[in-house]
Amino acid sequence: MSIARFSPFELLLLKSRSQVDTATLLLLAWVLVHRQHVSEGQRRRRLAQVTAQFRHGHELGPVMSIAHSQDLQAIQLAAEVVRKECSKERSLSVIHQAITVATDDGEISLANHYILRFLADLLNVVPNTLSTLFQELTGKPLQSPEDPSRDAYWQRHDPEYHARKAREAQAAEQRTKDAQARAEQRQRAKADKQQEKQKRQQEKQRQQEEARNAKAEAEQARARQEQARQHERARQKRWQQEQARHEDARRQYRQRASSPPPPDRTTRALAVLGLTPGASRTDVRRAYRRMAQLHHPDRFYTESEHQVALASARFQRIKNAYDYLMQTY
Amino acid sequence: MRDLYQRLTLSPSANHQEIRSAVARCPNSALRQDAEAVLEIAERREAYDTLHDTVSDIGRLRARLGLTHGAHWQGDVANDFSLPPDNAISRHDELVDRVSHAVSLYNRWRRWRGPWLLITVFASGAAIGLAMGFALALGLALG
Repeated sequence: MSIARFSPFELLLLKSRSQVDTATLLLLAWVLVHRQHVSEGQRRRRLAQVTAQFRHGHELGPVMSIAHSQDLQAIQLAAEVVRKECSKERSLSVIHQAITVATDDGEISLANHYILRFLADLLNVVPNTLSTLFQELTGKPLQSPEDPSRDAYWQRHDPEYHARKAREAQAAEQRTKDAQARAEQRQRAKADKQQEKQKRQQEKQRQQEEARNAKAEAEQARARQEQARQHERARQKRWQQEQARHEDARRQYRQRASSPPPPDRTTRALAVLGLTPGASRTDVRRAYRRMAQLHHPDRFYTESEHQVALASARFQRIKNAYDYLMQTY
Repeated sequence: MRDLYQRLTLSPSANHQEIRSAVARCPNSALRQDAEAVLEIAERREAYDTLHDTVSDIGRLRARLGLTHGAHWQGDVANDFSLPPDNAISRHDELVDRVSHAVSLYNRWRRWRGPWLLITVFASGAAIGLAMGFALALGLALG
């Protein structure tokens, strides 16, 4: 049956001549640690100055080091001691000291905003009293803390905010330009290929025609030799074959039409939405929303009918692209 | 001050990649814009994280001290950083318990005249050791 070791702050508290003073000292040191733009020596001097009347009877160094280590249990213990032992007047004086330690001229760090308010709640000091006290001590009203989880805060406090935005925009522009160039190149390559294909087809047709001509001449020669009936039958047969071949070709054509379109269609649909290949579903949805808002025909209602018609054509194209992407993506 | 990590269902130690994907998945455009501005830029995220640590510490303290509904703890901070009250006992009561325990142990030690007890135990141990040694030597001599 052994007891856990006593933590440094517990030992300090046990050795102290006045527990409230030691606990208050730790809370003030905690506030000081979160004060910005002061050196360690300044912090210690300020702490010694504010707590000159305290009767704790030990060094300030250990308290400062405990506060620096952000030991939550020690702070909780100190808060409990302070809450248990402080009368109303003493509470006000603790808040007074905390404000003095936190700021000289009303400039207070964000963390200290929350710490001061925590202390006020701990010591049952209502918001009105706190703000009055703050105003009296610093000459400035106690503002509500700013919110660094918002874009607006950084717009105000980050001197590089606009430079960074511009850089990002430039990078995005460069990226879209690259993507456009790539798409153009691809289209040009496709056009070239098509031309080549057409040429090849023409050549083949020509060859076929020649062959057919030669064959027809041969047939004529043979037909002159053969009897009319045979000739008739042969022609009928050929006609049937032709028909069958036509039928075949038509079927093939239909098959080709119903087979899945080339993956290039995805790229084109993405380009319609102003996206590059590799965009995610979320990106597609977002881009569609933006484009739909931009090109909705109702927006052009006040302008000419022609404008509305153009817009509805654009809108239709965007919607088709979006529908297609939503099906395949 | 909002807890962006909680709102994006991330852990505060999430790496850049996780944050990017969480931001891309986020359906709220205002939150997405803020998260992009704060978490995706290293120095801003660092500043935000320091404050985030302090405020979550305060949230934990408030939960333990029963101050989660204080007059100064309102709005976004209270919504995002309040924790359910954990059943950690009061540190001060614990300290008092431990001190009284230590005192009772000390008193018992004094009452049993601890030092004498220690000397007796040591002496009897030595005597048993000697006896064993003799027995071994005797056995060797006879064998």
